[in-house]
Amino acid sequence: MTDLLERDAFIAALDGLLADAGTGDGRLVLIGGDAGIGKTALIDAFCQSHASTTRVLAGACDALSTPRPLGPLLDISRQAGGELQRLLTTGANREPIFGALLNELGQHSQPIIVVIEDIHWADDATVDLIRFLARRLSGLRALVIATYRDVEIGPHHPFRLCLGDLATSRSVRRIVLPPLSEEAVRVLAGSSSLDPSALHRQTGGNPFFVAEILASGEPGMPATVRDAVLARIARLGSDARAALDVAAVLGFRSESWLLTDLLGSGAAALDACVVAGVLRPEPGGFAFRHELARDAVLDAISPVLRCALHRRALEALRLTADDPDALARLAHHADMAGDREAVLAYAPAAARRAVELQAHREAAAQYARALRWSREWEPAVRAPLLEGFAYHSYLTDRHTEAVDAWTQALAIWRRVGNPLKEGEILRLLSRPLWYLGRSSDAEASISASLSVLEPLPRGVELGWAWSDLSRLRMLAGESEAAVVWGKQAFLLGERLGDAGLQAHALNNVGCARLELGDEGGSDDLERGLAIALAANLDEHAGRSYANLVSMALISFQLARAEHWGEEGSAFTLDHDVETYRLCLMSQRPVQLFLQGRWSEAVDLASTLLSRADLSPLYRLLALTVLGRVRARRGDPEAAAALDAALALAGPTVDLSRRVPVFMARIEAAWLTGDHACAEAEINAACVIAGELNDPWLKGELAYWRWQVGSSAKPPSGIAKPYAQQLAGDWARSAASWESLGCPYEAALALADSGDEAALQRALAEFNQLGARPMAAAVTQRLRRLGALGIARGPRPTTRANPARLTAREMEVWDLLAEGLRNAEIANRLSVSTKTVDHHVSAVLAKLGVRTRTEAAHARALHAPSHRQSGELAHAT
Amino acid sequence: MTFSRTDRRIEKGGRDMPRYLVERMFPDGLDIPVTEEGAAAVLGVVSRNTEQSVIWLHSYVSDDKRRTFCIYDGPNPEAIRRAAACNDLPIERIIKVSVLDPYFYQ
Repeated sequence: MTDLLERDAFIAALDGLLADAGTGDGRLVLIGGDAGIGKTALIDAFCQSHASTTRVLAGACDALSTPRPLGPLLDISRQAGGELQRLLTTGANREPIFGALLNELGQHSQPIIVVIEDIHWADDATVDLIRFLARRLSGLRALVIATYRDVEIGPHHPFRLCLGDLATSRSVRRIVLPPLSEEAVRVLAGSSSLDPSALHRQTGGNPFFVAEILASGEPGMPATVRDAVLARIARLGSDARAALDVAAVLGFRSESWLLTDLLGSGAAALDACVVAGVLRPEPGGFAFRHELARDAVLDAISPVLRCALHRRALEALRLTADDPDALARLAHHADMAGDREAVLAYAPAAARRAVELQAHREAAAQYARALRWSREWEPAVRAPLLEGFAYHSYLTDRHTEAVDAWTQALAIWRRVGNPLKEGEILRLLSRPLWYLGRSSDAEASISASLSVLEPLPRGVELGWAWSDLSRLRMLAGESEAAVVWGKQAFLLGERLGDAGLQAHALNNVGCARLELGDEGGSDDLERGLAIALAANLDEHAGRSYANLVSMALISFQLARAEHWGEEGSAFTLDHDVETYRLCLMSQRPVQLFLQGRWSEAVDLASTLLSRADLSPLYRLLALTVLGRVRARRGDPEAAAALDAALALAGPTVDLSRRVPVFMARIEAAWLTGDHACAEAEINAACVIAGELNDPWLKGELAYWRWQVGSSAKPPSGIAKPYAQQLAGDWARSAASWESLGCPYEAALALADSGDEAALQRALAEFNQLGARPMAAAVTQRLRRLGALGIARGPRPTTRANPARLTAREMEVWDLLAEGLRNAEIANRLSVSTKTVDHHVSAVLAKLGVRTRTEAAHARALHAPSHRQSGELAHAT
Repeated sequence: MTFSRTDRRIEKGGRDMPRYLVERMFPDGLDIPVTEEGAAAVLGVVSRNTEQSVIWLHSYVSDDKRRTFCIYDGPNPEAIRRAAACNDLPIERIIKVSVLDPYFYQ
């Protein structure tokens, strides 16, 4: 029980989560709500009630225009001390820092509470930190509490994307704090002369606003929170007011030494601010009672005074300039004080620190800040700033800004006469240009780069230009050229001992060779992966996995796709390589679809489509799968999904992704019996497919032409199962599809026979898959043959698999129920223990149970041998 | 307790969702007694539907009780299928429909 009104249920929920954490099953709880709704008050009350038994580490994101990277962790490290603090103050990189935090959390037998406040202001590195923690909670005796204002998290906010990721995690809970009821406001108003209903209406039940109005002692009711805060402050003396001004300029929190330094004898007035309830004391300093109060104070300071105060803050803080994490703060005050020299000293340094912590957005913002203060006539100062800004804008998908800044930097290096730089920037420019859909500009840029670099001594810059050129050729479908340039890049990379260049080049060469039907491409891809793994180049390794999977899928090697997909997902998850993790996840629906695992395919596709950060290319893949499954099931809205896919399949998309959209549209039209529409889609596909090389897509296109009754001779070089089908050998074709693991395609081959037994097999398979249109068509064919005993669709039994586990997860669940340990399961299934760990977590999450024992128990209840009947059926 | 599940439902809203007719076959006939047990079975379905953001409006049952035509609001056909799977209900076909009111044409 606490003094807070209408918050007992939430405290009880937190108590429950802390108890979970105490058993070694860590939790992350996200507490959302408007500013002033009482998130901090709730946490304070909760932590207070466990103060005697539980350690609390707390940090907050700051509202600086460009926040300190890992700001909350800096706060936490000061409380935790030890290795974590040492690493952060010596400017270590991100990985050891995250690792040290994990150690800190893992070494206690008592549960620990970690509070991270205001994550709507989080820098990129802090967002990654929360994701990192959320994934490693099981096994930690930790309750992580993060607060955020929901209104400040728009659809493209970096944390929104993270929220989407976390939503499915078993360890994550969300609480949204509601406003107070009128009843509660009445209690708070007590003996005040204000009308409680009017007070409730005016404040919307916002506890902070209510408290401010009550404390302001005004006879009327201030219209806004700001007015209420200012009315309260107006009653303080001028010393206290001056102290508040300084504190507001310093930030939400400020250190005692700094306040004393700046206020001199005026520091005594801080006590009055505490007594008045505007500031509250904290270990080593003071904080505003609420960010809203700080905002109100800061806004009321005149611009001239504010500038002067920032200048004084800057002078005082210069003493801390050797602390790598003071740099963002120094840059902020320098900027606000209008001190050009100081901005140019601190902002680039703060940017470099942000790069070390992989906070790319913040790095770009610091470079942009420095650029605003740099002068046109100082090219030597500007060029590196422009390059830094461009590179980190490119990494955070702001390609227009990247093109603009690199173009400016290019002009500078040309004027100064530095061809190596000129060539390098021309090469880099080709990347954002390509992403912006300006492929001919990208081509021109890379050609210009080569003509600058080729006359110079052969260095790594030239190697990268060749490799980027190879990639562009591959994307344009010019595979032979891609192989030539990629090989040249690889050999130079080998000679110079540059692993990144070698891995990049091998990826291009491997994909291009496979596109040409040269199986040796797989070896290139695997070799590229090995090089990247050996050199700890996580991004390059992620790219290799993604390419291995997509190339396997294009040629229907589903087992291979599954193998690399599983290994790649585990790797990218462990190494936090988000881009390629998403890329691998986006390809999985295609594999599941081809394997006939439609429910899993559409579930994953829908999850992906709900993410705002899904690139158009992956959106296209997910929509195509969704449309195809709907069409094959005979469900509505297949056309809607495939129209949306078509809208994304513009000319910049490479053919191997673009043509399948047309295949899906042909199939959907054909399944509804609209052959005219199917023919129109076939013609559209022929126009864009042109000189299609890929034997599988060529085969599928020929198959559809044949299905709609074209008498044209099938082209040569089409994939085997299609060739067999078109030659009338449905039995062999079905066997080929079966050995590839594609049940629907196999049944489709059987469906073309005039043989009753084959048709019955096809029907059984279509019924099993839930493929209603084809099941209906085959039933008709059987009736025409006068067949007896035509099977009706079986009722899909789902009770045996209540949590919609994947086939692999079912296997893991079975073995787990037999009492096997993860290592034993891994042995049995010939996968890595890490992969099994992931499957086990997924099984527990989907079943909604906490322990393996509970999962094993649940398995016994759902054993297929004594399948439970549904509740509704039970009621009959 | 306001956990996210309800919020997600509110965010998506019920009004703009498409409507579906779901045809189901019960070879052994369907009989839900008008008893507490029957009410509990039906409410169980309703609450599991909620998890998939699916709303069961009402159903028409054929005289032989072997076929039902159920009217649902839901975000997409997959949600209808997921809800059916959670409730162990068969699906014969899903058709997207809209309302035609004869008395609207006066």
